[in-house]
Amino acid sequence: MNKWKNKAWFVLFTVPLLLVFTTVVIIPFIIGIVYSFIKWDGIAANAKQFVGFSNYVQVFQDDRFMHSAWITIQFTLMALVLVNVAGLGLSLLVTSKLKSSNLARTLFFMPNLIGGLILGYIWKFIFTDAFKYIGENVGAENIFFNWLLNPQYALYAIVVVFAWQMAGYTMIIYIAGLQGIPDDLMEAAQVDGAGPWHRLTKIVFPLLMPSFTICLFLTLSGAFKIFDVNLSLTGGGPVNSTEMFAMNIFNEIFGYSRYGIGQAKAIIFFVVVAAITLVQVYITKKREVQM
Amino acid sequence: MKRAIRIASILTTAALMTASLAACGGSGDGGGSGSGEGKLAKISLFQSKVEIAGPLEALAKKYTEETGNEVDVWGSAGDNYISQLQAKLNAGEGPTIFSVQPGAEAQKYASYYVDLSNEDYVKNIAPGLSTEIDGKTVGVPIGVEGFGLVYNKDLVRPDEVTDLESFTSVLQKFKGEGKNGISLSQEAYFLIGHIINTPFSVQDDPKGFVEKVNSGEVKMADTPAFQEFARFMETIRENSVNPLEVTYDSQMGDLAAGKSAMVHQGNWSYGMLSEFGDLNVSMMPLPLGGNDKLAVDLPAMWVINNKATEAQIEAAHAFIDWVFNSETGKNAIVNEFKFIPSMTNIEAPNLDPLSQAVFEATQSGKTIPWALNYFPQGIIINDLAPITQEFFLDGSITGEQYLQKLDEAWAKAPK
Repeated sequence: MNKWKNKAWFVLFTVPLLLVFTTVVIIPFIIGIVYSFIKWDGIAANAKQFVGFSNYVQVFQDDRFMHSAWITIQFTLMALVLVNVAGLGLSLLVTSKLKSSNLARTLFFMPNLIGGLILGYIWKFIFTDAFKYIGENVGAENIFFNWLLNPQYALYAIVVVFAWQMAGYTMIIYIAGLQGIPDDLMEAAQVDGAGPWHRLTKIVFPLLMPSFTICLFLTLSGAFKIFDVNLSLTGGGPVNSTEMFAMNIFNEIFGYSRYGIGQAKAIIFFVVVAAITLVQVYITKKREVQM
Repeated sequence: MKRAIRIASILTTAALMTASLAACGGSGDGGGSGSGEGKLAKISLFQSKVEIAGPLEALAKKYTEETGNEVDVWGSAGDNYISQLQAKLNAGEGPTIFSVQPGAEAQKYASYYVDLSNEDYVKNIAPGLSTEIDGKTVGVPIGVEGFGLVYNKDLVRPDEVTDLESFTSVLQKFKGEGKNGISLSQEAYFLIGHIINTPFSVQDDPKGFVEKVNSGEVKMADTPAFQEFARFMETIRENSVNPLEVTYDSQMGDLAAGKSAMVHQGNWSYGMLSEFGDLNVSMMPLPLGGNDKLAVDLPAMWVINNKATEAQIEAAHAFIDWVFNSETGKNAIVNEFKFIPSMTNIEAPNLDPLSQAVFEATQSGKTIPWALNYFPQGIIINDLAPITQEFFLDGSITGEQYLQKLDEAWAKAPK
């Protein structure tokens, strides 16, 4: 009797979710895979032509896509380091005995509440006008110039804005992790003569591993999938030098109207992101320790 | 028993929620089909011209006041217009009326158009300005537009700028005075799309020439007009501000403030210029190879989406008829949109200085067409703009190399 009832509850709560998940994720995903094997220009009246794997072959011959992949990897690595170093640094700062730590937490988290598009436009102004103004009036013109006109610096600009946006978010996760570390453990270490550096590297970091897992996962997948900041800050320019994965796919589909190839790129993109994030979670999970 | 009641209450809540969700969906669909009382169905309009977004919404409001019918004007998206239109059409949520550029773009979306041949309002389209596909009139041109060098009359005279040499010396003169001779701006069409039109349009058969470039039969790098065009671009790069640091807004502001003497723009820009007060501006041709003609053509036409419901199509006819035939509509076209009318039944008594220049050019036959309407669809934004960015950022690229890059991109572009 009881068993039957448990099952009923289980069904009641999972079936609606499963239905939603199937209709909005699984079915479109399968349709997406099908689309990656056809050739179509996006006009409903024009025929969709089945072309097998030729879309995938073309994707791998597409220099612009390969270049875009390389930029995305560069971006992700830089963003990963900057976001997590900044997030961890901020979290250590605001959990120390700082008077204004509550205010600081709010302020550091604030950029995350602003949408990526708006953030991009704000920073566009900073990089183009404010930087140029500082450069002209204060000097240091090799740092303060219009970053968005230089292909390499435009990429750095996106890293800076992405870090600005995400650091506050990872900070919150790290704070939660830091507060989960019992005080008596730290005190015991202090009594045993461990200095601040040792306490940080030998006690705090290992116990913070679950937070690392989450934060690395979030920044890794977030950086790979970045689109909004990319669009509003540089629009992929100058000279397509900051066209990330997602934007390349968007341009393939809506710019060039090659739906099949764009969809094939999207599938490859999915596989790459899934593989990389799974490997990352596997590695960091293994390093998590139990108290 | 108690438990049974609780379960029952949960189930009813769930059922109610589903019902209310379903109701939401239902009302969304029902919105399109009108609400009786002889009123026409509510329609939507999506168009590419950002400059008229405000006045157009005001016009739609007046339409509702006068007739009681509703038109929902969707926000314009500038350079993103075509991608958004495409996405909406594919999702089956396309607008009832939308705008397309005559030429390659119009051809691409041809399967979506309602045949307008038998409607009364197309009879007023000025000769030579209607677009026919398979012998059917499919669109209503919203106005004629022209572009060229918009200049500040206090700073420069047209007889000073008649060929590459005089153009260059004028730019150098202004550079010496700390002013900016000519300004392009970073938006794809204002950076390259419009200015590259001239070398195409001075050819004997511009449309045929574009087709030859499309098929690779002719290379731009081998054509004299383009070689001169490249020299124009070189002298602009050498003697004026980097266009990538200029936006449409700052371009207009600088012209109005007298910091720039010339900009490559069209008569549509007067709307923004006039916000800076009364200005002494006019328009002259880009003197490529001694060219003395303005580029004048149809920027866009309105078409009706044949995927809309019968009731909506009927309402769309009524709205277009009202725009081009009622006093309010005609007045808005001339005085609010600042269009040079493309309809014989609309008169334009007081045109602004730029439109006046375009209008006079039309009257005296000193016009060249917009060959850019026949470019492969999307090429200006997708390919020509990035290459031009590179040209302006990297001073070591010669005009010749620039043309070769353009040729390469053209060869690869989907046609």
